Amino acid sequence: MTTDYATHYLPNGIRLIFMPTPKFKTITMGLYIHQELNEKLAPLNALLSAVLEQGSRFYPDNLTLRRELENLYGADLSTDIIKSGERHMIACHLETVHGKYVGGNDKLLRSGMSILGSVMGDPLIEDNGFKKEYVDQEKDQLVKEIRSLVNDKGTYALEQCLRTMCSEERYGVYRLGCIENYDHINRESLYSYYRELLFNNPIDLYIIGELEEEQVLEAAREALAFKCSEKKLVLPAVEIDYPVQEVKSLEEEMVVNQAKLVLGFRTYTGFSDAEYCSLLVYSGVLGGFPHSKLFQQVREEAGLAYYIYSRLDGHKGLMVIAAGIDYSDYAKAIAIIDRQIEAMVAGKISTSEMENTKHALINLIRTQQDSPSQMIYSHLDGSIGGKTYTSLELIKGIEDVGLEEVKAVASRIKKDTIYLLRPRDGGSQPESQ
Amino acid sequence: MEVVNLKANSPKIIENHALQETLYRYTVHPGMDVYILPKTGYQKKYAIFSTKFGSIDNLFQVAPDPEVVRVPNGVAHFLEHKLFEDERGNVFDRFAALGASPNAYTSFTQTTYLFSCTSNFEENLELLLDFVQEPYFTEKSVQKEQGIIGQEIKMYEDHPHWRVFFNLLAGLYCEHPVRNDIAGTLESISQITPDLLYRCYRAFYHPSNMAVFVVGDVSPKTISRKVQENLSRHNYNPMSKIERYFPHEPPEICRQRTEQTLVVSEPIINLGFKDTMVDKLQGRQLLRREILMEMVLEVLFGTSEPLYNTLYQEGLIDDRFEAGYSAETSYGYSLIGGETRDPDQLYQRIMLAVEKLKKDGITSEQFERHRRKILGGYIMRFDSLEFIANNFLAYRFRGTDLFEVPVLLQEIKREELLDVIVQNLDPARHVVSLILPRTED
Repeated sequence: MTTDYATHYLPNGIRLIFMPTPKFKTITMGLYIHQELNEKLAPLNALLSAVLEQGSRFYPDNLTLRRELENLYGADLSTDIIKSGERHMIACHLETVHGKYVGGNDKLLRSGMSILGSVMGDPLIEDNGFKKEYVDQEKDQLVKEIRSLVNDKGTYALEQCLRTMCSEERYGVYRLGCIENYDHINRESLYSYYRELLFNNPIDLYIIGELEEEQVLEAAREALAFKCSEKKLVLPAVEIDYPVQEVKSLEEEMVVNQAKLVLGFRTYTGFSDAEYCSLLVYSGVLGGFPHSKLFQQVREEAGLAYYIYSRLDGHKGLMVIAAGIDYSDYAKAIAIIDRQIEAMVAGKISTSEMENTKHALINLIRTQQDSPSQMIYSHLDGSIGGKTYTSLELIKGIEDVGLEEVKAVASRIKKDTIYLLRPRDGGSQPESQ
Repeated sequence: MEVVNLKANSPKIIENHALQETLYRYTVHPGMDVYILPKTGYQKKYAIFSTKFGSIDNLFQVAPDPEVVRVPNGVAHFLEHKLFEDERGNVFDRFAALGASPNAYTSFTQTTYLFSCTSNFEENLELLLDFVQEPYFTEKSVQKEQGIIGQEIKMYEDHPHWRVFFNLLAGLYCEHPVRNDIAGTLESISQITPDLLYRCYRAFYHPSNMAVFVVGDVSPKTISRKVQENLSRHNYNPMSKIERYFPHEPPEICRQRTEQTLVVSEPIINLGFKDTMVDKLQGRQLLRREILMEMVLEVLFGTSEPLYNTLYQEGLIDDRFEAGYSAETSYGYSLIGGETRDPDQLYQRIMLAVEKLKKDGITSEQFERHRRKILGGYIMRFDSLEFIANNFLAYRFRGTDLFEVPVLLQEIKREELLDVIVQNLDPARHVVSLILPRTED
């Protein structure tokens, strides 16, 4: 069931994970530079990922780069910045159609790899720094993006809860860092950071598609020939045991129609812990699916919400519960949610709740094999979490979870933060002119 | 009871050369198409059951009843929610017991019920077919759903990208129901009763107004037989003809500019052009227009063209800036938009670029490059089972064929683009919708 994969190391120490499979019409390549998440580095990572995408030595501006990609049948290239637990990753993702669908073109892997290598490993440099226009422009874009978080009220509420909850921990740092920390970055300091990062930090390259191992290795070696240190930086482990002294609470007011409620919990169970599968089942029974307690009680029984769910950050051992409700139903909603959490601790879980949740989790794990990006993320989870689970191990682990195990996990979970985005007065209606 | 010959049903086999896929089409009694696309090697199996009943179908008549029925806005979506509940409780639990993940969505033109799973596929398919064919609406459950959908509506009211889009449609269209929110309003859904739901159900949920699409590692023969057997148990009479009425929509726009203030970090603009030709086109012609318009918008606003890059460098747009075209049988429009620090400036630049393109035309280099990009993008999307099924039926309900895209892409000529630009991006029929940040706090 699990796609077999082969791990190689390129001469410069980059780890290559090749997943051969005939089922996709695409060739997917993903490069991930691992870094620790912290306040100081976050804006550097975000800015770096944005600046690299603007142009390289071979494709010195975005227009040239995009035209090259279009000629490769609209190959999709994007750089990204990913926060996972207390790990921060600079990613570059390139997806192209497989040559057999466009007249037997066998150069697409090599051309795609070469563009990816050019963007990530051979940037446009002027006077020992990145191009000033690109750095300034991307700073502005990122500041704008950070500010625009408020436009999506659900995501904003979630981030505000996590920020409050983890204000003393690295995890509290937003994916793009904070605006003030962009000021002091300049084109030279960013470039020297980039060189250090490429030289010292662990780098993973994923290639997925109907390909021969030899051609994959050759294309990767050729495209990513920059020098790296033989000794890779060891990144600090995630901390999952921060204590809860008292439940924190933050309320904000805004001119909105719907109140957003987000509750943050600490599970004290980590990705590599033996109880990890029990935690997956716990959160699934509580609020992971439409059959779960929260959806059934808050939405289907009480009719208080359109969306309500619980979700884990498995690396940090955090859980959030989020719902959009009428402010007047706040107390009612909190009471129902609390009752569900108490029921979990007391082990009031029916056989069908357990079984349905296990089925749903197993379904999710199996279908990861049907999407190149999910195949990459589930493998990356293993590198970040310091423990690799094959799909079969994870499935077996979930199947073996019993009521007592779920109760044990439940008894450790502590509520940490209550966040509420509260409507001030009614929303506004459109005006015509 | 009518005798149904289960054996007589042989499929139409549709080979698609560009995609290297084979599609099986069965027509089962009483007149429903079942499409099956086998995908070997996939763990996931995905099935959808769709009816051609969307938010715009709010005025209709079903023979022999002479009465033309007008229903409140949001009924199709409300009905979608309510089908998930029946006498035995809620359908989510039954799918969950079979390890499937169910869902549904309502668009302007259709309602789709779906599930994906990696085991028990046939049982899940049976459940999908059954629950959609077994309506059960009570006063109490309708009332409860008014609360849930009320929250859904409020969520969208706070969503600036959703608001800017619907304000645009309300500006483009004076009468056509596409100008209304799919979920309706708090007021319109308060008028919904079980009776009304049953009435809509009887009108639009006859299999001949519906279709099934299954994609995954499945056997077409087994699946088609399952569907046929299931439908035959429901003893359908032949369907009466549904007449959908749309109010007369003038070619002119309704309102040139709409502004709304919300809590946003900077203004959001949507600019739309009304397509007044679209209701005169059918089938291949409609699809051809869609492809031509995609190409035009690529040439105008694509990331590989000078306009996008200049606007981006000036900080007038970000990388979420987008342009798209949408065409149904009764309406069509182009939409360009994004978040911007200076909507007036951006607006002027877009309008200038449109006029400039009409003069300059499109080079053969641009034409070929974008044609390649569209072809590659099209093929790449066929890795997603959801994309295939959802889009195939959406195209089918508007009388077009998703599988024809590669052939039409080869057929179109550069010269055709200019006509479409002039016709379709007419400054006399454009509308601006803006979301502006609240200033007082």
